[in-house]
Amino acid sequence: MAQETLLLLKNMRTPGYTGDLSAYQKAGGSKAWEKVLGGMKPAQVIEAVKASALRGRGGAGFPCGMKWSFMPPLGAKPHYLVCNADESEPGTFKDHLLMLADPHQFLEGMMIGCFSMHSHHGYIYIRGESQHAIRRVQGAIDELYKAKLLGRNIRGSGFDLDLTVHPGAGAYICGEETAMLDSLEGKRGQPRSKPPFPAQSGFNACPTTVNNVETLANVPFILTQGPEAFAKLGRPNNTGTQCISISGHVAKPGVYEVEMGHNLKSLIYEYAGGIRGGKKLKAVIPGGASAGILRADEVDLPYDFDSLAKAGTMRGSGAIMVFDEDTDVVRLAERTIRFFNHESCGQCTPCREGTFWVKNMIRQFMDDAGDGVLAERIHRAAGQMIGTTICAFGDAVGGPMQAFVRKFPEEFAKHYAS
Amino acid sequence: MAKVGFSDAVLKEVNALFARYPKKVHALLPLLHMAQRENAGWLPRGWEQYVADLCETTLNHVRGVVTFYNMYKTEPVGKYHILVCTCLPCGLCGGTEVLEHLEHRLGISAGKTTEDGLFSLEDAQCLAACDQAPLMLVNENLQKRITLEQIDRWIDEARAKKA
Repeated sequence: MAQETLLLLKNMRTPGYTGDLSAYQKAGGSKAWEKVLGGMKPAQVIEAVKASALRGRGGAGFPCGMKWSFMPPLGAKPHYLVCNADESEPGTFKDHLLMLADPHQFLEGMMIGCFSMHSHHGYIYIRGESQHAIRRVQGAIDELYKAKLLGRNIRGSGFDLDLTVHPGAGAYICGEETAMLDSLEGKRGQPRSKPPFPAQSGFNACPTTVNNVETLANVPFILTQGPEAFAKLGRPNNTGTQCISISGHVAKPGVYEVEMGHNLKSLIYEYAGGIRGGKKLKAVIPGGASAGILRADEVDLPYDFDSLAKAGTMRGSGAIMVFDEDTDVVRLAERTIRFFNHESCGQCTPCREGTFWVKNMIRQFMDDAGDGVLAERIHRAAGQMIGTTICAFGDAVGGPMQAFVRKFPEEFAKHYAS
Repeated sequence: MAKVGFSDAVLKEVNALFARYPKKVHALLPLLHMAQRENAGWLPRGWEQYVADLCETTLNHVRGVVTFYNMYKTEPVGKYHILVCTCLPCGLCGGTEVLEHLEHRLGISAGKTTEDGLFSLEDAQCLAACDQAPLMLVNENLQKRITLEQIDRWIDEARAKKA
């Protein structure tokens, strides 16, 4: 197999690694947290993360250090860091691997994040269906309290920190950061209008930052090896490594860690073993269900935020879904719209109604009752969801639906009424 | 009607939970999970009001939350609560066939419970293990790369255990 660039998956790729605190520390873990407690200033930590140019791995790719620097100086209200471990974007499973196989790595990054933003309580929001991940992360937190790496006056630093696992209850939209905050407050998970941004008014109307699991998992490396060592990996403005979830019709689906900017075609053929059964490639959805589909002849490009944006789609959560020559793209579109229609929170009319009507139109194609006018209507209705909703859900469904129609007109034509 | 309310031991857990949030109502989601665990996976009549009182909110608020999230149930669920992912990519890697097979074998459509109360079947969205498709989550146990033969065997065993 092609060689991975191991930074986040390094420990778990070592045979016999258990992921317990003692194993993590034997592999060099907890050093960054001890370094921070040993006399670093919060601002120094944020500077280091800024210098690494680490971008958020959850989907939007926002620069992590900059996000942290948006937190106001400590005032009367407490600050919070919330770890987005909901991982509900179809095709994505790398955060589960990070939580299950090496939970202390992202927790250490989270603790450092809390310190740098003056937060004394962090919440890890894990989807309710994943009891195994909830138990695993809770077990790791219990170990940290026992080792006095969490709790009151940690290692004599005067810094207090608590971490709490918060279970979701089955709602894709709770992966959206403001919906997640409402859910954390015991409400229906419905996105909030911004501004105010979470850094001004987040959890319990207090300054809050939300970071993805993989993003936080990078922080210990940045502090122990230096931001330069991190920024040397990948490409300018797309630094570091990335944990890619590859699924669908490939011979070896799974999570692979490569540098940012690694070629997408190489990921599919050299890492995931190519198309299973020796079939030909038809299409790739390169960044979770919210990303626009690519044709087989469009996949020879660097896999990172900027390159995929230039190609008219997105890197999103790093979820690559591969489909072979036998795939019916209309069925793919139907599975996609069915998902979004089910998961629309119902707040905004374009999304609530739009997903319903686009689903019905796609189903007409499934019944071989489509035509060119209907395909254009799907494109137009999808366009009416883009930029017209409170959160990015409208864009996340409108973009891919337009891409299905535009990139694969011949597939839709197969389902025209005869 | 069965008694509504947590035992003293569980109430201790509830209080430890409240201590981890600025307001009691913030703990509503985990609290509803606990209530379901006490009641074989669903919320019988009276429990929504009980949970509302516990975390000092209204019944309306709790009902709004219960109806929003997929995991909260207001009707009994089977002893084996089965979720099958038919989303993409699972849906295109055998997930829909698994669901159809289960519907056929259990004689119920997705969203329903068998008359003997043994199985509930649900058509689920992404379960975050797409590389292991097709997936079936039974209660808290995620079964990966399942085959129709494995499903048949499992159903037969579950039925035999009951009989």
